[in-house]
Order: sequence, then structure tokens, then C-alpha cells
Amino acid sequence: MNRKLLFVLGPVTGLVMFGAVVLIATFLTNREYKEPYRAPAAIVDATPRAAGLTDEKAAADATNRAKPYVEVEYRAFPVVGSRVAIWAVAQLHLLFAAFVLAVPIFAVLIEAIGYKTGDRRYDRLAHEFTKLLSVSFSLTATFGAALTFMLIILYPKFTNYMMSVFSPTFLPYVGLFFAEAFFLYTYYYGWGKFHPLVHLFLGIGLNVVGTSIMLIANAWLTFMMSPNGISDGGALISTWDAIYNFTWMPINVHRFIANVAFGGSVAAAYAAFKFLHATTDEERAHYDWMGYIGNFVAIIAFLPLPFAGYWLAKEIYAYSQTLGLTMMGGAFSWLFIIQAVLIGNLFLGANYYLWLGMGRVEGARSVQRFIKYLLIAIAVCFMVWATPRSIIATVAEIRAMGGSSHPILGFLGVMSAKNTAVNILILTTFMSFLLYRRTGKTATVSWAKAGHAAQLLIFASAAIIVISLGIYGYFVEASVRIGLSVPQVSSVLFAMVAITTIDVFLFRRPRMTGDVRWGRMPAVSQYVLIFIAVTFTWLMGLMGYVRSGLRQHWHVYGVIRDTSPDAFTPTLGFATQVVSLTVLLFFVLIGFVFWLASLHDLPDYDPVHSPHSPLLAADGHKAERSS
Amino acid sequence: MTVPHSVRIAALVLATTAFYGYVGQLVPQKEVQPPQETVLKADMTTADMVKIGGELMVGKGLCLTCHTIGKSGALRFPDLEGVAARATTRIPGLNEIEYFAKSLYEPDSFIVPGFNPGMPVINKPPIGLTDQEILCVIAFLQTLGGTPTVTLQTSHAYYKAPGATPAAPGGAPGNATPTNATPAKGPVTP
Repeated sequence: MNRKLLFVLGPVTGLVMFGAVVLIATFLTNREYKEPYRAPAAIVDATPRAAGLTDEKAAADATNRAKPYVEVEYRAFPVVGSRVAIWAVAQLHLLFAAFVLAVPIFAVLIEAIGYKTGDRRYDRLAHEFTKLLSVSFSLTATFGAALTFMLIILYPKFTNYMMSVFSPTFLPYVGLFFAEAFFLYTYYYGWGKFHPLVHLFLGIGLNVVGTSIMLIANAWLTFMMSPNGISDGGALISTWDAIYNFTWMPINVHRFIANVAFGGSVAAAYAAFKFLHATTDEERAHYDWMGYIGNFVAIIAFLPLPFAGYWLAKEIYAYSQTLGLTMMGGAFSWLFIIQAVLIGNLFLGANYYLWLGMGRVEGARSVQRFIKYLLIAIAVCFMVWATPRSIIATVAEIRAMGGSSHPILGFLGVMSAKNTAVNILILTTFMSFLLYRRTGKTATVSWAKAGHAAQLLIFASAAIIVISLGIYGYFVEASVRIGLSVPQVSSVLFAMVAITTIDVFLFRRPRMTGDVRWGRMPAVSQYVLIFIAVTFTWLMGLMGYVRSGLRQHWHVYGVIRDTSPDAFTPTLGFATQVVSLTVLLFFVLIGFVFWLASLHDLPDYDPVHSPHSPLLAADGHKAERSS
Repeated sequence: MTVPHSVRIAALVLATTAFYGYVGQLVPQKEVQPPQETVLKADMTTADMVKIGGELMVGKGLCLTCHTIGKSGALRFPDLEGVAARATTRIPGLNEIEYFAKSLYEPDSFIVPGFNPGMPVINKPPIGLTDQEILCVIAFLQTLGGTPTVTLQTSHAYYKAPGATPAAPGGAPGNATPTNATPAKGPVTP
């Protein structure tokens, strides 16, 4: 060994050994037995300490016995605080509940199509969707129980009040929950074990019970926003009026549609996950189809969602203009710019996926040439929708502009422009669907030319009506302008229904110009599906926040005031951080659900043929030796 | 090296949520605190009441969430510039104090032509201004095109100040207001 190194090592080793000796000596000294100090008997007898201790204990006991019961209003959750804790748990509960309520809706529909057409692929697809349900149902129930306990612990006074108003609804809720468990597990485990009609009945039962549960829970949360059926002092007058408050029905409809859109997108993300991990062409074809159906469900449900949103907003305004203006013109107005970014991304993602999907159909070139125009329309609408009414600017900039609105772009930030943009976005996405639908097909009916012309005329008329009313809105009073959104929405809905109806008959017995090659999709298309699912989830989190946060410093708007340290409305930046973390947690858990569902397809563990099997290992050694 | 799809999916989920979280940081950040209770002293002058009334209109009263002062165009709710002058002519038989009181306590009983109903009752939750706070708001409104005359001893159809006489209907601005009632002792708190 190097002599210089030995020279250095010697003293170092010596120092280490010395340190070790000191440590050992200290350790032993500290644990050496020492006789405890005992005061002489005379001193012990004379000291009043024992008596003092007894007196102190007696006094403490007396104080404890005299302590009155005081009901606390709030208890604090460690580290993150009560509000964030409740927020995260409620959001996770709602996301899983939305998924569990949504999947049976389209699973039953797909199963019914399979039964009607006799095509076994649909049955397999519906079963595949249902595989995701059982674990998700358990997670929904777990988060629901956590939410209930946390409300009782952290917000006892508020929870007590809600109990006093809604006590007649709790037992039916529990009963329905049992019924849902019965229908869900019988539906899932009974797949292929009953007559198809009996099985379909179980699926319908599951949907009826699940929707009823949602209606009851919606009554609680909408009451908090628009309380009804109570006296000025908050005492219950009518339970039914408390349930059927201003925002109950709009929320029911909005949630039902949103749940389907969200469930479809998450199911499509599952298909994408499976597609990316598929090893055979057959698997890829199946999961490509599943992803397409999931996304189709999501987008079809998503298209009417803004209209349900308008209705909800209208009812919020009808209940309280203050509440409505807080939402659209006050603290939450900028939240709708974030919402515009999300919805714009959803539309872009959905259209991009459809355009990529055209590639799986032979002879798609004739249709693909329209994509650039659709893209331009979507980009322009996206930009208009995301234009804020007022912008952040320095004092000098505000002076130069003559206000906080940009002199030109400010005109695009008002409701007239935004309503127009969203309606055109919906029409454009609908057109993408229509083009995808007719890829590889040619209409053969005698009136094909007239049919195409009629479709084009309806589409153009709807677009002209939407744009004209949007421009007209700039020149009329607010009371008239608000009403213009109704004919805008109606013309778009009419166009979608009329064009689809014509299309169904137009392509009844089409001439096929190219086959659909399921599975021939680039990997990026599957990442788009996952992106859409994350965006939907994030959007649900954000809109859940605005619905709840709108009450500001009220637990029950105008009835039970929030006097906790969390009574303030946080910044949007903080809210979006909480939403992001909740969404991440949801995807960690849903990833677990996907993994569990995938286990179903794996072969059973076989000790003989397992690569880790000792038998195989022994065989391998033998083979090595013999060679 | 090929990155496994699971890692790519996780990265995509993380990047997407981070992106939306980042968008949330780009918009104006405002923390909204619950409205503070206003302490009204019994010896407040009309000028003091005007000052507090202005603060109440911006804060607890939420008036300027909907109304504007000095703005024209296609407005959703009436602009308040010059409202004290208009208030004397809105409803025959009511002076501006009674008109303001009616607008605040019973907002749906009279709707300004060209506008829709929508104003909440101001003395009830969620806004819940007290009678004295409403007097301060009326004092501020009087400054918009008129002269403030309200004191804490002013009575009107919806509120009778202790020991005061009610406002006489149909009077000129300010006619109905000051009374020589004894000021209340101590702070008048909501």
C-alpha cells in the first residue's frame, strides 16, 4: 500500500478510536447504577408536598366536574386548515361519484345496442366499462364517509343546522346507497349470468338509484347556495321547498350531463392507457374503438353543457342578483377566463382527436381538406372567449387606454362576443363530428344532393343567426341583450338536431369507399384522450370551486354566516393550486383503478410456468449443465 | 432509450395540471375578506355619515357591484350620478329620502323604467345593513346631485328614530329629515 496513505491513515484511525472510547465511556457512566436520593424520614413527614398534591388534584377534579358543556362552532384541521381539507375530500368524493354515476348510463346504452343488434363487441365493450366501477364505488363511499366525519368534526354547528333542515332525507339516502350497492355488484358480477333483458333491467335500476342519490345530495348543496323553505331566522318551514330551491333543478341537469361527459372522458383515458400498453393488433383495435366511443360520449354530452350552464346562471341571477354579479362581475369574473382556456383546450383536443381519427379510414383525403378551416374557426373563437373584459395594466397604460378595457380588444371581452364564440365553437365541433361520420362513405339516396344542400343551408343559417345576434347585442340595453342568448342557443340546438336527422337518412345505405382500420392510430392520439380527461377533471374541480366559493363568507347564503378563520375568499391562484393537487390525487387513485381493472385480463398465477418458479429455475440449471 | 408509456402518461398528467395551475397564477389575485362591521357613533355629523355611507356602498352594502356612478351606455342597473335630483320626481308624493328608503327596504316596489328587477332587500341578509347604516347610505346618495341633510335622528317610513318625528311625504329635498330628537347615548352599533 502507498506509504503516504498509511502515514495519514494512522493518526486518523487513532483519532477515531479515541472518539469511540470516549463515547463508550460516556455511555457506560450514564447508565451506571446510582442510589436515588431519599430524604430522611423526618423531612418527609414534615413536608406539606404530599398534602399539597392531594389538594391540587381535588381542586382540579372539582373544576372539571363544574365545567359546563360548550358547543364549539369550528375545530381546526392540522397543517392545511379545515377549509382545504374539506375542499379536497369533497372534490375527490364528487369526482369518483360522478364517474360511478356516469359509467352505468352509457354502459347500459351500449349493452342495449349490443342486445338489439346482436353484435357481441358492444356487450364486451359495455362489460369493459363496467370493470372500472366496483373499485371506484368503494372509493366514492370511502371519501363520502370521510367527508361526513370531517364535516361533523370540523364544522359541527353548520352540520347540525343542515341536519335540522334535511333530516328527513338522510335515511332514504342511506337506503338508496344500499340499493345502489346491490344493483352495481349484481350488474357487474351477473354479466352473462342472466337473461340479457334481466341484466339490462339491473343496469337501469342502477341508473335510477344512482341518479336519485345525486338528486338528494344536490338538494343539500344547492340549499347552501340558494336557501328556500325556511323562515327569516333560518327555521325550517317546508322540507320540500328546501329541496326544490332555485338552483336544484338546474344543478341536477347540469351535473347529470357533466357527469356523462366526465365519465366518458375518463373511460376513454382508460382505453388510451390500455391501447398504449397493448401487445397485439387485436387489442389495439379494441381499445382504439373503446377510446373513440368514450370520447364520443364525452363530447356529445359536452356540447349541450354550456346551455345547462346558462340555465344555472340564470337561476342564480333570479335567486339573487348579488350572487350572480359576484359570479360574473365580481371576485370570480376572472375565473371564467381560466374556464375559457380549459374549454378551448377541450374543443381543440376533441377536434384534433377526430381529425387524427379520419386517418384510420381509407379515402379520408376528400374530408381532411376541410380541417384547416375548422381549425381557424376554433382558434378565432378560442381567442375571443379567452379575451378578458378588463386587463391588468399600469396606471399609465390605463390612462392611455381610457379605462381598464382595451380600446379594441375590450369589445371582445363582453358577453355578446363570448356567447357568439362558444356557439360557433359548438357548431364547429359538431361539423368535425359530421365530417368524421361520413369519412369513407358516399350517400346513395336519390335526394343526396338536396340533402347536402339542406344541411349546408341549416348550418349557414345557424351561424348567421348566432353572429348577427351577437353583433346586435352591442346596440341594445342589458335587459334585451340577456335575452338574446336564448335564440342563439336555440338556433344551434336546432341546427344540430336537424342536420343529424338528415344525415342519418342521407347515409342509410351508403356506398363504402374505404374501410375503418381500428387500431391504426398514432400514439399521440391516445395522449390527446388522456389530456382531455385531465382537462375535464380540472374543469370540474374549478367549477365546483366557483359554485361553492360563490357564497363567500356564508355557509348557507344569507342564513348561516362563516365566522371561521377561513371565512375569506382566497385568491384564484390559491384556488387553482388546490384544484391541481386534487386532480393529481384523483389521477393517482384512478391510475390504481385502471391497474386493478387490468389485472382482470392477466392470466392466473401459475407456479409451474412462472418465470420465477423454482421448478423452472431448477430446469434451467439442468439445461445449462447438460449443455 | 425509450421512455415507458406509463412514465409518459404520468408526465402528461403532471404537466397538464401544472399548466392549468400556472394559468391560475396569471389572472389578478385578490383575496376578498368578509365585510367589517361599521361602528357608528351617536354624535356623528351628516358629513361623517356621508363618508361612512360611501364606504358602505363600496364594501358591506355591495351597491357598486351592480350600480355605477357617472357611467353611460347600455347599463344593467341604473347609474347613480345625479340620483338625488331624480329621486324627488320618481314617485309622486315621496321626497328623495323616502324614495331612497323605499328603494333600499322594498326594492321591487318601484323599478326604474328600462331596467329589470334585481336589487336585494338591503336590511336583510346576505347584505343586512342596519337602519343606521342605511341612513348613512341615504346621506351619501343625497350628495349625488343634491345636498345631504340626513342625520341619525332622521325618520322615514321604514324606520322611526328614537324620539323623532317621521318624514313628511312630498316635501322638497331635505324637508322630511332633521328632527330635534335627542341623540342616542353611546355608540349605535349594528
